[in-house]
Amino acid sequence: MASSCPFHAVVDRAFGIDAAGVPAEPGARKDFPLMPVGTAVDMGHAPDGTPLFDPRIFTTLEFQRNPYPYYRILRDHHPVFHDRLSNAYYLTRYDDITAAYLDDLGFNTIPKGSSSGVLGNTQLELSGIEHRRRRNVYGRHLVGLALEKRKPYIERLANELIDAWGLDGSSGTIELARSFANEFPIRVVCQVLGIPDDGRDRFFYWYSSMMNGLGGSDTAQQGREARQDLEEYVAELVEQRRKQPTFLYDEAGAPIGKDIISELCATEIDGDVMSTEEITSNIALVVGGGGETTRGAILNMWYLLLQHPEQFAAVRADESLWDAAFHETLRHSTSIGGQPRQTTFDVTLHGVTIPAGSLVHCVDVSANHDDRIFAEPERFDIFRPDLYSGKLLRSGYAKDGRFSHMAFGVGPHLCPGAWISHQESVIGSMVLSRRLRDVRIAVEKMPKDIDDTSLAPIGLGSIRNLWLDVELV
Amino acid sequence: MTDSRRTAAPEVAVDEAAAGFRTYEVYQRERVWEPRPPIKPRELYTPQFLDDPYPVLTALREATPCYRDWPGNAFWVTRYDDVTSVFVDEPNYVTRPRAWFAELEGIGRDRRDEIAVRACVTRVGDAAAAEVAHALCDELAAEQDGAGAADLAIGFAARYPVELWARVLGLPRQSFAWFAERLLRLRRAASWEPRTREDARTAFHELLAGLVPVVAQRRDDPGEDLVSVIATLGGDERDVVATLLEEDHDTLHGSLANLWFLLLTHPDQLGIVTEERRLVKAAWLEAMRHSTPVLIARRFTRHEVERFGRLLPDGALVVCSAAAANRDPRAFPDPDTFSITRKNLCHREARGHYRADGLCSPVSFGTGAPSKHPALPEDRPRSRFALTRDTAVTASRVLLDRLGDVRLADGATPTLRSLQWGELRTCWSLPVTFTPA
Repeated sequence: MASSCPFHAVVDRAFGIDAAGVPAEPGARKDFPLMPVGTAVDMGHAPDGTPLFDPRIFTTLEFQRNPYPYYRILRDHHPVFHDRLSNAYYLTRYDDITAAYLDDLGFNTIPKGSSSGVLGNTQLELSGIEHRRRRNVYGRHLVGLALEKRKPYIERLANELIDAWGLDGSSGTIELARSFANEFPIRVVCQVLGIPDDGRDRFFYWYSSMMNGLGGSDTAQQGREARQDLEEYVAELVEQRRKQPTFLYDEAGAPIGKDIISELCATEIDGDVMSTEEITSNIALVVGGGGETTRGAILNMWYLLLQHPEQFAAVRADESLWDAAFHETLRHSTSIGGQPRQTTFDVTLHGVTIPAGSLVHCVDVSANHDDRIFAEPERFDIFRPDLYSGKLLRSGYAKDGRFSHMAFGVGPHLCPGAWISHQESVIGSMVLSRRLRDVRIAVEKMPKDIDDTSLAPIGLGSIRNLWLDVELV
Repeated sequence: MTDSRRTAAPEVAVDEAAAGFRTYEVYQRERVWEPRPPIKPRELYTPQFLDDPYPVLTALREATPCYRDWPGNAFWVTRYDDVTSVFVDEPNYVTRPRAWFAELEGIGRDRRDEIAVRACVTRVGDAAAAEVAHALCDELAAEQDGAGAADLAIGFAARYPVELWARVLGLPRQSFAWFAERLLRLRRAASWEPRTREDARTAFHELLAGLVPVVAQRRDDPGEDLVSVIATLGGDERDVVATLLEEDHDTLHGSLANLWFLLLTHPDQLGIVTEERRLVKAAWLEAMRHSTPVLIARRFTRHEVERFGRLLPDGALVVCSAAAANRDPRAFPDPDTFSITRKNLCHREARGHYRADGLCSPVSFGTGAPSKHPALPEDRPRSRFALTRDTAVTASRVLLDRLGDVRLADGATPTLRSLQWGELRTCWSLPVTFTPA
């Protein structure tokens, strides 16, 4: 309704309500606009020129798709940012985050209330010696020789999935997530754990429900139910394996070793066997950590490589470059944003005092884009000289002037699945690239950026779908 | 929301699904025998709360007398008796000026409590109250001729207090738009939101800069207006702006808008007021009770006190929810009904006791601390509360006289809402049609 009253304009300018004074609908409010990738929306400046940071941006679409310029503001001007909306602190610089991860005492992992309802009692939430003991129980099945022996199985699995496309020697359009990346990691995990074939479909459902329930949102109830189901299923399985352990076999049919559940059943900690509840929690953790993240890594890696054809060609020519491609992908766009920590006592950092017991978000994504460490961090470059991409270092994060990315964290809580995730992604991608003669992103089926022509940025997390035009060998 | 879960008596409920996995926080809460909170912590800060805070506040009021709001780091008090007990308890709670919330301390002196200032505001304000209302009615009529419907919310309720203040300050007519915009932005100086706050600071400095020549001129050639009075008292433009910052002219805006919103959406009540003009004051009071524009008043404990079954630490922020207290069925039977002829509402101003005639007074603007002047002195004949009330009543009477047969424009569905958290909850669009008288 047009109004002739000049005071409307005054109120409009003062309060920012729209011209007629009527919101489009109750609850509709002005939001942060979508900006070109790499540019932050202006959130105001302090009188001394320091850019201000508005914590409401964290929940916006704008931040989801274009987080890096905002993290740059935090790194450069608010290295310890106190979000008064959710009363949490954000650490964003590489050096601060690595220091916090290595300081297991000062920045502990004992939660004040987060995922425990869904995942259960896992070593994510333990500290010190207690944590080390538990972690090593199954951690050793995910590294070293145990890993090498499974290589042929993983290759076979990848080939089976590709065969199932039914594109024999012809070309077609596939969706990589649905036809490969969703199922591949979870099948590897099932195999490593020793879940029988008939349980795998249900397993996939439980896994997705639990992942959806982690946020403590409305889906948490579904997540808890899924966990309950999983627990009953695994409890039964554990009872069987306690009596009759099962084994993994290599191509020739010779047993490689027991599967992880059978191993856990026989494991003693301080003279006690592990309870069924503990085993279930550990399995829930392996499932969560091993599925979702690897899936994201594979999708992001292909999305980025296919947008940089010269690097993709280099990787195809020299398969040993897949390691570098994997690590650069995780540096550039990782699926896990960061890790929470709690301060054990008052900590003063960059002039800000974080009180004891505060929730501190260590933003891995921001550490990976810290230009104090990585030159031109927004550029995807697998030949980057400052990124360490050799065998992952358990206790350090810098070697020979190169720095490892923070996607797996560092220190005592370094992702125990880092090695297997690396192996899975690289072998899977290698098999894929051998089988595909010609591959391009089906641009018309992918979400677009705000200009409606170029491909959407990955932003936080991973892309959900990747449509490809392929031709099989 | 009439969810039975919200109104049920508090008890230590056990969520079966989560029973095996109590988080540390839940464990601590059960250990000190504290009931499960009736709302989710963030429900006090959602967009829905800006539109309609009453379901959440009702849940709080019925389930827990003193709710620990962790995200806001505050204690919420929602029952009528509790809220009023905080308001009258000056030895234990301290009220802080807006400049404190705005972190603008030391930027000038609030002169409102000085006798000369008070006298000036009363004199100029009273003289201008009806005059300004008539002028705005003329513009409303012109607006109706032009656009088909006049907007009472912006064109009258929001504009009226600003016009009045421009008169009280004696500002020239041509700088009104400049002044109005900055005065409105200044309101948000205590906002929690960093960008808004920064904007208010900018408005603050612009007002300071703009008032320098005015103050200098009035010092040489004083007039009747407030700027002259403050200049004569030895103040400068900083004092003028500091006084403006503290002066809650937004209560006048909110109360006018909410009163007319309620009258127009309850035509039967509007009919009663049209018949009996003297009931405008009762209508205003009932509107403040039913839909108070100022939802909360903040107090801070002066030292550790035990109240409402809790130990409130030293310096704790106590959020007194006027909105919840005003709808407390323990104080006002049938609290959700807007009824001017309500018999259970005290019409006297609360001055240190809230049940003056054995009836409850509405808790409107956090006023009501015991008066320093039990017998009202000559030079301070009315409190700020009374000034706001009388001005709003005068303006509304003029509206009733001038706008014959006033009613909502066809198809209009006005609503009340806050633009931002902690701000005025009022009506931002109230299109009306009328027969100019």
